[in-house]
Amino acid sequence: MLVLNDVARQYNNKAAVSAVSLTVDRGSFVGVIGRSGAGKSTLLRMINRLVDPTAGTIAFDDIDVTRLSGKALRDWRARCAMIFQQFNLVGRLDVLTNVLMGRLNKVSTPRALLRLWSEEDRAIALSALEQFDIAGLAAQRADSLSGGQQQRVAIARALVQEPDVILADEPIASLDPRNTKVVMDALLRINKHYGITVMCNLHSLELARGYCDRLIGMSAGRVVFDGAPELLTDDVARGLYGLEADDVIETAPVAKPELSPGDAVAVAL
Amino acid sequence: MSVNAPEIAPSAGRLRAAALADLGGLRDRHGVHFRPSMRRRILAIGIPLVLIALAIFAMVVLNFSLVRILNGLHRLGQFAILMMPPEPQGRFVAFSIALGETLGIAFLGTLVAAVLAFPVAFLAAKNVIPNIFAHFAVRRAFDVIRSVDTLIWALMWINVVGLGPFAGVLAIACSDFGSFGKLFSEAIEATDGKAVEGVTASGGSKLHQVRFGLLPQVLPVIASQVLYFFESNTRSATIIGIVGAGGVGAYLTELIRVLELQQVAFLILMILVTVAIIDFISSKLRLAIIGKAKIV
Repeated sequence: MLVLNDVARQYNNKAAVSAVSLTVDRGSFVGVIGRSGAGKSTLLRMINRLVDPTAGTIAFDDIDVTRLSGKALRDWRARCAMIFQQFNLVGRLDVLTNVLMGRLNKVSTPRALLRLWSEEDRAIALSALEQFDIAGLAAQRADSLSGGQQQRVAIARALVQEPDVILADEPIASLDPRNTKVVMDALLRINKHYGITVMCNLHSLELARGYCDRLIGMSAGRVVFDGAPELLTDDVARGLYGLEADDVIETAPVAKPELSPGDAVAVAL
Repeated sequence: MSVNAPEIAPSAGRLRAAALADLGGLRDRHGVHFRPSMRRRILAIGIPLVLIALAIFAMVVLNFSLVRILNGLHRLGQFAILMMPPEPQGRFVAFSIALGETLGIAFLGTLVAAVLAFPVAFLAAKNVIPNIFAHFAVRRAFDVIRSVDTLIWALMWINVVGLGPFAGVLAIACSDFGSFGKLFSEAIEATDGKAVEGVTASGGSKLHQVRFGLLPQVLPVIASQVLYFFESNTRSATIIGIVGAGGVGAYLTELIRVLELQQVAFLILMILVTVAIIDFISSKLRLAIIGKAKIV
């Protein structure tokens, strides 16, 4: 069980996340939604400790994540894998090595530096790649793959960490609709088949409603909605997304503005 | 391997268990990834071995001898004692003027080299001049100029324009023209083509593409290279002084020859301080330039 208590993060006196308290049950699939800059990324990064909270505590079972350092911190990071919007693979290395990097925490440093992976580690990595239908690409350089393939490699890397939690930060924001489905299905499979907790930042409400058991809506660094997807009405969503709401809520038909040449157009960014 | 608490088991154990259960199948399907590649192993062991052998061979040929270093060590000690304490012995002003001259040589030489190399480097960049022959010719020209060291250039220019700082400036300008040409053109080639494509798509001419697509990307790199060269040329400029191309080097050779080692020590300290100051200023400048480039 992941418990966040009054967690906050400030950047130069500007609050990115303020006073967030959450309890995430083991095995749940949680979607974190909200507009850009709402603090979703910072929240996820604080759980992995890529970003340190300026206040509050994060705990997993009986581990106080906020106090960890050194080896204990690296162990915790291995237990809560991250998936990034830009995949964060090492482009110049082959796919298999990229996946095997997920096992670094479990291999002795000299062996890892010399890339002497054990048979077991190779088997685990290839098995993970097979699950996402990309085992055939194992020998290719990661930067020669398409975006969707790269994200699947990143998910395989996360999976071979044998984590308890997977934190996915906008995993599909750079992908086309078909790959979006492939990647979200992969996350769902990890969640259901392995019972790994997934926390996923999403921009699209439709996807969040389709895949998640629970949604957390953030606005200006605070949690403003927390509940089952059914409870997130269009009105709540409108409050979450403000001006963007009509772009995000697919059910509401987007009215095409009727303009004639010369009209002033206000563009919401 | 971690021994997981029972409640963690469903997530952690399953993947490994499945992979190990299917080990035979995985080996069949992906044998390549299990067999250690012979070629890679040979390279991994062979290349370091060859390098070590080469190094030992070179040491033998060049008469490396620890004994000779140890035997000569006391001479070094004598030198150090004779240098103490560093003292200008009344020539501080003369030294300062010479050091100023050295700085001037480095500054002018670097500036001339950079100004001349800047336009020519574009001709040597594949992404600006697609014509293979054109940039091949320019590149080889850079190579030829670069392969002659500053010191040799100094000896040549002394014969052309006579002894003095002017020959020094020309020497640095020449040898660095070659280096700058290579570095600048490589910086230009390493740029991101997307920016240029954006300018092209807006109807920009070739000149517009270079001005707005390339220049903003390469200027910070070029500026930092020029600053580094100025710094290193301050040191080179003392060397070319030794062959009579002006600056502080003339004093250095002279003083070492007559064993005025206290003055030598003082002069070296002056050079040290000057280089440190330049290093400090140029690293500030470099950071300022690079920092700004990130925002743009």
